[in-house]
Amino acid sequence: MALWMEAGSEPKTESEVVDLEAISALKQSTAIELKENGNEYVKKGKKHYSDAIDCYTRAISQKALSDAEQSILYCNRAHVNLLLGNYRRALQDAEEAIKLSPTNVKAFYRAVKASMSLSLLAEAKSYCEKGLELSPENEELNKLAGQIDLLKSEQDRRKAEVSKSVTAVKDMISAFEERKIKIGKALYQELTGVKKPTLDKNNILHWPVLLLYAEVMSSDFIEDFCETDMFSTHLDEMFSESSPPLPWDNEHAYTRDALELYYEADSGVRLSKREIFHCLADGTAAANLEKCDIEENDAAEESSSSTTVLGGGGMRWIKVNERRPLYDVLKEPNLVVPGIPVFYVVSKKSSFYEEFKSGNWAPFGKYTSSSSRG
Amino acid sequence: MAAELEELLGFLSSPSPPVKKAAVDIIRDYTGSEDGLQMLGKCCGVLLPSLSRLLAEKKEVSEPAAEALVNLSQNSDLAKKMVDTGVVETAMEILYKENCEITGLLVMLLVNLTQLDAGIDSLLQSGDEKMKGLYIMKLVRSFCTSSSERRGDPFEHVASVLVNISKKEAGRKLLLDPRRGLLKQIIRQFDSVSPLRKKGVSGTIRNCCFEAESQLQNLLLISEFLWPALLLPVAGNKIYSEQDASKMPLELASALSIEREPVADPDIRVQALEAIYLLVLQEAGRRAFWSVNGPRILQVGYEDEGHPKVMEAYEQIGALLLQESSSGD
Repeated sequence: MALWMEAGSEPKTESEVVDLEAISALKQSTAIELKENGNEYVKKGKKHYSDAIDCYTRAISQKALSDAEQSILYCNRAHVNLLLGNYRRALQDAEEAIKLSPTNVKAFYRAVKASMSLSLLAEAKSYCEKGLELSPENEELNKLAGQIDLLKSEQDRRKAEVSKSVTAVKDMISAFEERKIKIGKALYQELTGVKKPTLDKNNILHWPVLLLYAEVMSSDFIEDFCETDMFSTHLDEMFSESSPPLPWDNEHAYTRDALELYYEADSGVRLSKREIFHCLADGTAAANLEKCDIEENDAAEESSSSTTVLGGGGMRWIKVNERRPLYDVLKEPNLVVPGIPVFYVVSKKSSFYEEFKSGNWAPFGKYTSSSSRG
Repeated sequence: MAAELEELLGFLSSPSPPVKKAAVDIIRDYTGSEDGLQMLGKCCGVLLPSLSRLLAEKKEVSEPAAEALVNLSQNSDLAKKMVDTGVVETAMEILYKENCEITGLLVMLLVNLTQLDAGIDSLLQSGDEKMKGLYIMKLVRSFCTSSSERRGDPFEHVASVLVNISKKEAGRKLLLDPRRGLLKQIIRQFDSVSPLRKKGVSGTIRNCCFEAESQLQNLLLISEFLWPALLLPVAGNKIYSEQDASKMPLELASALSIEREPVADPDIRVQALEAIYLLVLQEAGRRAFWSVNGPRILQVGYEDEGHPKVMEAYEQIGALLLQESSSGD
């Protein structure tokens, strides 16, 4: 009596039922054996972890065990995946284990460990709490709960720091815009190091300012030049009667009354807002941000209107009236701040003066630094 | 009486021009007396909208209507009703129509209406995101481009409007906004010969200085205009020495190195000193004040001062500076 059985049809004969039961029992014992093999491999150490995974995987695919036991299989595989550093797979296995057996405390434990390694602190906390609901006295879970809280507050603290840095940089950029200050690439960083302006608590800008003595290519550095200060105030201080003369000034040409200050007109290309952001963020908590949401202006550039134009040569030097405050000079349309403001100092009494004013002289080579004043 | 009044109000909408004119003239005359004001106040529900409508008409009608509204608006309840029914907007609309013939009166009306918070809000257009500040910008432009040389100086009273709106934080913020540059334009009017303009500018600056704590940079970044406006009135009458002047920025130094007219109005001198006080309360303000040789100017100015209230204002600043420097500023 040979009958064709269609797939999915009920077994009709007793012998068929017996056969199926036998197959099922076989699968079960295979699965159990595989599980035990897997456990053995784990005990044998690192080199055998992948074998262990293999065993567990085959055991799982038998689909022969109860949910509770299947859960244990997933849980065990999660454990080995954790040991191997396959955190995402470990999490998936742990989640499956939990699905199959919601009272499997160990599965929750594995889920917590996997989440923590993936920095998914919210998920870790959630799994930990659920695990502790099942087993409040569980030492391991309690320990992890404490660790998660620490990690979370550390994460929050770091986020706050980054956010604070970003805000500070954005405020600075805003301050530049309000004052119509154009920023270009920093020159002369080998002289000054990386220096940045600061905003004080009254929202007033303080700039580090570089003074270059064109004649000998030496420099002076003013650490804190408040934007409301006049140039004359700082020059008075630097060239007061009690301060020492410039070491290289053998002719004594660089006396207070003989000094003139100049800046170079249109000395560089303006940086975009994004570039300025990155320069300012450098060295702060915001340094490694991949994207900063800075909107670029689509403002048209103002055409430059110069005040004093000199000579036919390539360089255009604009004289600075020293009785003006810094902010007033920095907003000139033809002034681009090279990172920090740079002004060139010459003496009316020096023979170099004519050459400088003719526009044929250009800064070349390296400047040496002399002192940091103010 | 009531019935006659009702009839009179009815004539305000009469199709006959001479009737309308006669009616509005009578109403205007009533507003000139206390009794008249009281009586009219009772029927403001009909009166105010009618008068408001007349503002858009020819001068012979709009002028007495405007005069009446100016008088009525001195009562705060009536003023409130006017603001609520959009008189501020109406006034602004008509003010900027071509060939407006009642400019001065409309501005005076705005002065009265901005005595109220509601009036200020309307003029600032605080509720309208897109149009915010547009009215004020127009008024400031008119204020600064017209001058007291023109007959009657119709925009003169904008000075008082500005003082009023600067009593509110929203008004100060608008005036101080560096992107709009309103305060910068306004300060320049300080040189005007018109006492009203001068006083209005002085009062507005003083009010704006109440924002020194949070917006000091918006005040200090117009220093080249601000310090002369604040210091010239209180710099005394003498010509300053070369030594003193050399420590000041150019515009201040040149102004103080020549003969000048003293500022007669003591209120203006007090306002200037109060404004300076507010700036000097802030650290950066103090620093900026020292950098323009401010304390020396006050010292010299004080020597010429005789009015007690002004003297007190000088002394307050002196005390503050002393206190701050001794606490290791």
